[in-house]
Amino acid sequence: MKQLLLRFEPVIWLLFGAGLSIGTMLLTGFVLIVGLAIPLGVVPADALSYERAHMLASNVIGRLVLLGLIALPLWKGAHHLRSLSIDFNGEARDGAVGGLLYLVAIIGSVGGILAVVRL
Amino acid sequence: MRVEITRFDPDKDEVPKTQEYEIPVQADWKVLDAINYIKDEVDSSISHRWSCRMAVCGSCGMMVNGEPKLTCKTPLSAYSDSIKIEPLANFPIVRDLVVDIDGFMDKFRRVKPWIVRAKERAEDMEALNEKGTYSQSPAELVVFKQFSMCINCLLCYSACPVVANEPEFMGPAAIALGHRYNLDSRDQGDRERNRIFRGAGTVFSCSFANECSEVCPKNVDPAAAVNQAKLGAVIDWAKGLVLPRGGA
Ligand code: FES
Repeated sequence: MKQLLLRFEPVIWLLFGAGLSIGTMLLTGFVLIVGLAIPLGVVPADALSYERAHMLASNVIGRLVLLGLIALPLWKGAHHLRSLSIDFNGEARDGAVGGLLYLVAIIGSVGGILAVVRL
Repeated sequence: MRVEITRFDPDKDEVPKTQEYEIPVQADWKVLDAINYIKDEVDSSISHRWSCRMAVCGSCGMMVNGEPKLTCKTPLSAYSDSIKIEPLANFPIVRDLVVDIDGFMDKFRRVKPWIVRAKERAEDMEALNEKGTYSQSPAELVVFKQFSMCINCLLCYSACPVVANEPEFMGPAAIALGHRYNLDSRDQGDRERNRIFRGAGTVFSCSFANECSEVCPKNVDPAAAVNQAKLGAVIDWAKGLVLPRGGA
């Protein structure tokens, strides 16, 4: 398992790095709008009405952004948790822990792809 | 001032112990001056490494009150009336304040820290200027100059949480120096180094804690080098997928 993880390390790191930057920025913006701006009335609530949100999300760019929002943070999270596990003396179990975490990220990403395709 | 120094004699001691010295100090002393004073005037049995006294040779790195420091560059006045000096963390101790850096030297060699040319000389003659060296413009120099300022003092290895956990990790200075050659316009060894960088315990083991750059006395910013090296290794890997590789 460790060998497999090592072989795919460049892809994993790329997804992690993308999750770190894009995911963090997009998610922060998302939380700011949905969690603060709308409740405070800075942004009118119907700006994100179902029809508008659906229209925004269902074109190609919208779908890609949505997929990025769903999938990339999963890779970021999985990689962070794996690093954390290693930091807590997890060298020996790294293959299993890493494999499991990335499996969750893969399942989530596939789910994300299905979700945006069927939107 | 009270100075506590780690003592360890591999022939007698099981574990390192601490010895205390009370010494007069001068306002303009560096930490190294205090150790040299003890060695010269109080206790000649202390072992420590130093040479240039001007932050160039990189041999005087030690833990000062728990932080990796170049002792010839660190003013004593930065500390109050007591100071604790230990050998660099994350290295085996040879004796007292002297650590074993063989492990680093092996890692260093692995990144091929020299200019690699795919085909030496004969077909390269056109690239040689009249002095017989490969010419390089100031703009090409600037690209890697910062990373070439490393003096191998190894403070970064002492600060790195990944090295502490995985002693096999190639570590900040070795990766930064490998990356320095990857960025050098005269070098053609980047493919080999990138392959090494994609091996176990190298660039991707770095969790970007940035501690190496915090303690670097020469502002090399090894953390930046390691993370640029990650991207370089990924791009090289992706290129390998789409472009056939000649047997250079
Ligand atoms: S004695 Fe040379 S760097 Fe300190």
